[in-house]
Amino acid sequence: MVKSNVRNMSVIAHVDHGKSTLTDSLLAKCGIISSAKAGDARATDTRQDEQDRGITIKSTAISLYGELPSEEDIKDIQNQKTEGNGFLINLIDSPGHVDFSSEVTAALRVTDGALVVVDTVEGVCVQTETVLRQALAERIKPVVIINKVDRALLELQVSKEDLYQSFSRTIESVNVVISTYLDKSLGDLQVYPYKGTVAFGSGLHGWAFTVRQFATRYAKKFGVDRNKMMERLWGDNYFNPHTKKWTTKSSHEGKELERAFNQFILDPIFKIFSAVMNFKKDEVTTLLAKLDLKLETADKDKEGKQLLKAVMKTFLPAADSLMEMMILHLPSPVTAQKYRVETLYEGPQDDEAAIAIRDCDPKGPLMLYVSKMVPTSDKGRFYAFGRVFAGTVRSGLKVRIQGPNYIPGKKEDLFIKAIQRTVLMMGGKVDPIDDMPAGNIVGLVGIDQFLLKSGTLTTSETAHNMKVMKFSVSPVVQRSVQVKNAQDLPKLVEGLKRLSKSDPCVLTSSNESGEHVVAGAGELHLEICLNDLENDHAGVPLIISDPVVGYRESIAGKSSMTALSKSPNKHNRIYMTAEPIDEELALAIEAGKISPREDFKTRARTLADDFGWDVTDARKIWCFGPDTQGPNLLVDQTKAVQYLNEIKDSVVSGFQWATREGPVAEEPMRGVRWNIMDVTLHADAIHRGAGQIMPTTRRVLYASTLLSEPALQEPVFLVEIQVPEQAMGGVYGVLTRRRGHVFAEEQRPGTPLFTIKAYLPVMESFGFNADLRQGTGGQAFPQMVFDHWQVLPGGSPLDNTSKVGGIVNTIRKRKGLKVDVPDVSNYYDKL
Amino acid sequence: MASDLSAPPVLSTPAEHTFDEDPSTQTARAERRTINDDELFEVYEISRTASEIAERGWRRVALQFPDAMLPDGPRVLALLEKELAKLPSRPAVVAEETKETNTTEQPLETDMTTQSESAKAEGQETRLYILADTSYSACCVDEIAAEHADAEGVVHYGRSCLSPTSRLPVIYVFTKQKLDYDAVVGSFEKEFPEKDSKVVIVADVMFQQHVTSFCGRLRDRGYTGVVGTEIVRDPVASIPNRKIIPEEGSTESSGQEDNESEVDLSAYHLFHISTPATSLLLTLSSRLASLRIYPTPDSPYSTSSDIIDPSSAPGLLRRRYGLVVRFASASIIGILVNTLSVKNYLPTIALLKDQIAAAGKKSYTIVVGKLNPAKLANFAEMDGWVVVGCWESGLVESDGMYKPVITPFELALALAGDDKRIWDGSWWGGIEGVASQAESKAKEDAEEEAAGGADGDAEDEIPQDVEGGVDEEESEPPEFDWRTGKLVSHSRPMRVAVRNAKEKDPSASATEEASKAGKDPSTTLTQRKFGELATVNGVVSPGAEFLRSQRTWQGLGSDYNMTDDVEDEESTAVEEGRSGVARGYTVGEDSSRT
Repeated sequence: MVKSNVRNMSVIAHVDHGKSTLTDSLLAKCGIISSAKAGDARATDTRQDEQDRGITIKSTAISLYGELPSEEDIKDIQNQKTEGNGFLINLIDSPGHVDFSSEVTAALRVTDGALVVVDTVEGVCVQTETVLRQALAERIKPVVIINKVDRALLELQVSKEDLYQSFSRTIESVNVVISTYLDKSLGDLQVYPYKGTVAFGSGLHGWAFTVRQFATRYAKKFGVDRNKMMERLWGDNYFNPHTKKWTTKSSHEGKELERAFNQFILDPIFKIFSAVMNFKKDEVTTLLAKLDLKLETADKDKEGKQLLKAVMKTFLPAADSLMEMMILHLPSPVTAQKYRVETLYEGPQDDEAAIAIRDCDPKGPLMLYVSKMVPTSDKGRFYAFGRVFAGTVRSGLKVRIQGPNYIPGKKEDLFIKAIQRTVLMMGGKVDPIDDMPAGNIVGLVGIDQFLLKSGTLTTSETAHNMKVMKFSVSPVVQRSVQVKNAQDLPKLVEGLKRLSKSDPCVLTSSNESGEHVVAGAGELHLEICLNDLENDHAGVPLIISDPVVGYRESIAGKSSMTALSKSPNKHNRIYMTAEPIDEELALAIEAGKISPREDFKTRARTLADDFGWDVTDARKIWCFGPDTQGPNLLVDQTKAVQYLNEIKDSVVSGFQWATREGPVAEEPMRGVRWNIMDVTLHADAIHRGAGQIMPTTRRVLYASTLLSEPALQEPVFLVEIQVPEQAMGGVYGVLTRRRGHVFAEEQRPGTPLFTIKAYLPVMESFGFNADLRQGTGGQAFPQMVFDHWQVLPGGSPLDNTSKVGGIVNTIRKRKGLKVDVPDVSNYYDKL
Repeated sequence: MASDLSAPPVLSTPAEHTFDEDPSTQTARAERRTINDDELFEVYEISRTASEIAERGWRRVALQFPDAMLPDGPRVLALLEKELAKLPSRPAVVAEETKETNTTEQPLETDMTTQSESAKAEGQETRLYILADTSYSACCVDEIAAEHADAEGVVHYGRSCLSPTSRLPVIYVFTKQKLDYDAVVGSFEKEFPEKDSKVVIVADVMFQQHVTSFCGRLRDRGYTGVVGTEIVRDPVASIPNRKIIPEEGSTESSGQEDNESEVDLSAYHLFHISTPATSLLLTLSSRLASLRIYPTPDSPYSTSSDIIDPSSAPGLLRRRYGLVVRFASASIIGILVNTLSVKNYLPTIALLKDQIAAAGKKSYTIVVGKLNPAKLANFAEMDGWVVVGCWESGLVESDGMYKPVITPFELALALAGDDKRIWDGSWWGGIEGVASQAESKAKEDAEEEAAGGADGDAEDEIPQDVEGGVDEEESEPPEFDWRTGKLVSHSRPMRVAVRNAKEKDPSASATEEASKAGKDPSTTLTQRKFGELATVNGVVSPGAEFLRSQRTWQGLGSDYNMTDDVEDEESTAVEEGRSGVARGYTVGEDSSRT
């Protein structure tokens, strides 16, 4: 396949807006599933639990072949070259539930375009916005389909004008999101029906249309250019039947005119609906004749919804319009990689790898990004699923596998391995393939052991890494697992490793107290993961603890005095103070906007300009922590201290250690800045070695923390709940009981549905779904996504009797520590 | 050499700090009631000790006291001398000359820890020395210190781990402590209301003499399932250093008794008089049904320790497991020698080295004396430590330790690999049994499960994926680091080295070249390649690599570029600094020490 005729795209949307169902119609068109099943089969939901629960959990890739029937259409492909009328479409169906957002991120990375599915009735929801934002950040071009139009017609019985208004509102909201997060270099990405970038349809019934399709039909009739026609069929354009002229005025001599969109597009659809649903057989037959449609014999006897489905499918087959929209408006890899290379590649934009990516050069050095791992039928092994951005990958090729910590020129995180086989991912199945050139999505066999979740594969020795993906969700909910039977431990351990590979977001680790911990984005995510672990990856009976929340230790004020600690030999003294850093700065560090790797002068400039830091201080940041990149800072404020550079390594190690396990509950620290005020050191190097300095640094960090109103931070979910008006009371009740805080409530125009947005502490979110279902009679549907950290209210963590103190005690007990938080005097030394 | 030392050596501690004491230890010493001689005589088993010394004919004897008993040392020594004098003397000549040399030599050599309360009594033929401040731990016999006093034997006072010693004979004096029977029986009845409970009674060695009579009392009260224990010197027994005394009447044949008690142990509860050492608690927690502790009141003879809640044992064991799992991805392991007297410590070190090397990791053997966090933190390149010591001191609680410190038993588990590690709660802190683990391992190398995962076969872990033309230059798969939940590539540095050394093909493709590390020591000047590992004499040295790559401080002058332009330090003329050792420095030609 010529690479300019390839389209890589993902289907993204809010949960239950109909991604998998729509995908079905595309699969049916290509003969992968029978067209009778399309809409019900959800063929891309390959797992049993996906079918059972009716939600997508893993993103699934499938390759389709499509053709544009007419030469005319091919001419409409603007701004990019095309050869012939055959197209390869690599499509990835992604999950819509927020808990699985990381799957969407992984899908977006390997695609260039996105089909955004929006429910007519529900409109743009929180997850629609999230995925769209992610897509734009990855420089992915969106097209939109407004789905479930049948519901609007059958259930809500809206009028044509209402439907038009609803459509235009939805498109408006999509465009608001697009323009908010727009990357300037991409140009205008907003979607317009009259440009053919918006489709309307029903995945369940298998029909969809774009304004372009109708424009083609009417262009001949009116004898105007199709593109002109398209513009007229949307917006405030009216056809005045009296003057036989197009106008933009909605009335003619006092009489209401019908909007062109309503008149020419919605009208036939409404007619079919009313005729079929009112069982007017004759009318149906005339309509069919008028539209020049022939039903299959099997369909002719059908009635009601079944007939409706058959007629609409024949009238406006979804696959055709979607295929056309995707081919016409989504970029080919050649086009897309030109502007994506900047956001994809970490290294300089003029090295051989960057140039090969930019040109999508199949003869260049291999640059392949593995975005996720897909389990194979062979237990414990995985396909590395990724996109070839440059070069050609083939079986037997020896590649350099560069993990996330790889630095060019170093050996760390670099592996060399031959690829055993290359395969094409076809939903649940794979097709072996000899090689795969740049611009395509591919599955690789034999390198899964070298990658945890993602990584860069290359043949160039000088290539830098491809940028790591940024997920919109964080693993904030944890549960610990242990085996029922001690002999099964190796299986659990293996299972945990596999689980960690199989999901882009899940984090498996073991903590200080010897528990194996699985951390996920939310309760559902964890439930699915643990289910997989118990039944598949480990396959042994497990004991699973109640969910717990990972806290962060922070401080609320400046140190009440300068903390001092002496080294074990009493010859070295370190003086420090602690103070909180701005939440914005903590966020910026967590988002990687301010990082330890950037040049300290530029970093100091940003800190001074955006966060009001003193430039001298900002230049003297010794390190970030924990793990050298966390949101805690160590600043050197000393003046002319001898030997200071010599002990820097030891201090930094002590800092990493202390920030990883804070003094209050051995939880990681967050949002604290320590200033080294003064240091006195022994004149002999042997007496100020690592052994003296490192533990002292930890002690003085602890002492200054405990002197600065220590506080615990808890993670908070953003909850969006769609609920009918009458059930709102229940929602408020449940939220209030769980320390929830509602900050927005709005009615979705034209529906009785309200959208409530609230902040809910993760700790309180366990069992929230069930509670909400009970409180509202099952009418409310919440979506929860990690939003921010907030200080846990209710007293000092050092006070046993306070609420926070109680939480600290439980954590310490769970970790097998002494229940009482050590006093400052354990760390603070008197002069 | 010692004679010309008129003043104490100039140590680093400036004079004003010399008498500063750690405030934490002061309180312990404050209250200590005076004990009269009779009580001392009784508690320290003076007469038995004296007769045994006399019987063995030792002429130079070292008395080793734990810290808590040290204040009684001189008086015990005096009493013992008196007692020895009473005993029929043997024909033994004490040479005056040897006496002199010893008294001068010994305080220096033993680092001011031993003190000679040498005989004042005339005609005293046996000389006694007090050993204080043990090199490693109070529970072990400090043979090294005793040898400084040229002792023929050691009398060890207080609680002991009873680890076999390698050089000197020992007389153990556990010291007899009083026990309030009624209180213990009351506590026992509260713990075990049912009269047929199966309970093993174990007491700390200091209370050992009460066990039999206590069992008797309990049987009188109608407890049928109570068994007592006696001391045997066998740390690897199912209850370390204890043997179950067969119940009268229930077991007749003494031959089977051993087997029987072993089998039944898991059905028994354990009642421990006095707080056990944490390592004992951990060892026993998986071997018996449950543990109960009768905490004895603080006695003047023991340092007060926190009373351990036996129910915390699973939690403690889990924390140990946490260490083991994190240890699995360590690349450089320090073998910490924490004993110089426990039998077999040298073979154990050799064995550990082999195990570590077989796993492709690097080991360094280090002796630091009594270990503390500061000493260990000096070796920043170590990813973890394994302690070779007696079974009680093998457990180093890692609070304040920068890197995990584990026991040889745990090391075997850590090296076993994720696919073989089984943690069923059994635990052992010492070096005893490690060798036997490895031996049994060697015997049945086909099925190594029985050896509890003792390793040496880490090669098995490397998946032999043969499907796709594997050849030598391909990398080993990385290891999963359980602390961070990520993959790490450096956990087996030595394996990479071996592999690279084998690689001899000069026509290696461009890709492979980068992965090459140094081969033979070369005499010509070569440019160091990117990514090449540091080598010492042609052997890859992870320690050197650490110094090269992880340290930002590279010595004087290296910080020249580091100081940014904010406050440039003025460059100054080079001046001569001090030189010499810490004992006394000189400045330039000036020979006077400062």
